[in-house]
Amino acid sequence: MRYSTKQLFIILFFNSICFSQIKLDVNTIPRKVDIHLDGVNIGSSPIRNERITPGVHKFEIKKKGYAPLTYDLLVNPAQAIELDFFLNPIYECKFKTDEKGLVFELNGEHRWDVEMVRLRLEAGDHFLRVFKIGEIIDEQTIRVDQPKKYNYFLKKPLNTSN
Amino acid sequence: MVTAFDQDATYLVLNHFDKPLAGINESLVDNFNHSSFNFDSTIDLMFEDMDEEGNPASKYMDNIKDLGNTHNVNFILLNRIEHEDDRLIMEGMLFNTRSGGLMHRRKINVRNYTNGSINELNLWVGKTMNQIKKEWEKERESILYSDVDDISYEKTPMGAALRSLAIPGWGQAYSGNPLSAGLWAVMELSLGLAFMSSYNSYDSSSKSFLENVKLYDATDDEKEVAAYRASAEKDWNDHVLYSKLAITLAGTTFTGWVSNSIHAWVFGPRPYTNIYQKGTSQATHPEG
Repeated sequence: MRYSTKQLFIILFFNSICFSQIKLDVNTIPRKVDIHLDGVNIGSSPIRNERITPGVHKFEIKKKGYAPLTYDLLVNPAQAIELDFFLNPIYECKFKTDEKGLVFELNGEHRWDVEMVRLRLEAGDHFLRVFKIGEIIDEQTIRVDQPKKYNYFLKKPLNTSN
Repeated sequence: MVTAFDQDATYLVLNHFDKPLAGINESLVDNFNHSSFNFDSTIDLMFEDMDEEGNPASKYMDNIKDLGNTHNVNFILLNRIEHEDDRLIMEGMLFNTRSGGLMHRRKINVRNYTNGSINELNLWVGKTMNQIKKEWEKERESILYSDVDDISYEKTPMGAALRSLAIPGWGQAYSGNPLSAGLWAVMELSLGLAFMSSYNSYDSSSKSFLENVKLYDATDDEKEVAAYRASAEKDWNDHVLYSKLAITLAGTTFTGWVSNSIHAWVFGPRPYTNIYQKGTSQATHPEG
């Protein structure tokens, strides 16, 4: 079989593309999560023996009940790359207070001033700030580790008049 | 610098940590006992940020080959561990000393956990040597938050509802509300006793009515006929009254029983956390 120069060039070009690709394995916890690589669904985790080219790539991982994950990755030339993603669950929580005149702010973005509010919170630490008449009266980090209700109380001054 | 000889392949392991990690060498020796290790700490050539290079895998090819020749190893494992706040950042690279090329790279950025550095290093080195222990994977999973479906509670609202359905007030007592439990139990007991009393009265009235009808039919005495007739009519009226009362009380008891179960579910044991005011600090605020 004889090849023309053009055909040889095309074969070499495709070979170079094929051989410059890197083996990609993707693991996730939980398993069976759809993985999108540069907008293309490459299957459900765990992904084995997928191919990826060197350069910048974007991974998008979404699963119901978990916080969506977007990850930009610069892939350098290598034989193989393995990625482990841990998805963080989202919990249905309630935040309640019987205190009057308070405004609550979570992570500097969500604000409310009602007695009870339902929140969908990502597991982990969240920064709570409490305002009263426009002034910050409390700042603390609350850990969300399961779906539950948070009851907020102001610290009452000690009654030492007796 | 650690040199490991794994059954068929030999490894030169270069560790670079931002702080001393107690027990790391012992851990490698214990966990990879098919390998033998030598320790040195003179090489820091390849711990610069490789991602800044156009082709980082090729930058150190000659160094990798030289190191391979010097130490007579097949592979070089490069491990970098840094700690940022509560995060553990680990980067691992596996080089082939024959070609000098980068074969495998792993980056980990996780919330730090007990023995996290040692465990993550074991996982990475174990992966390259195909010797991963289940306990390392379990230990890593300890940092993960649970799936909602996997969270189990000792006491649940459904548990309270079912108990109250069996015995009124039990679910409330199970939820730690003895006053509510007592009220429900007393109310249901009272309704139940009232129903039984009404039913007994209804039953007595019915029997008495039948008896008086029989006596009424059996006598020709004018006074007795009048007396039995009056008694039978009273028994009939009582029987109707107690019948209605028993039905009403039965319905009320049943409704109360179900309500007691629903109440137990609504006010059943659910997880909660009380947050008390801590006040403000002069610490820097996180970005919103």
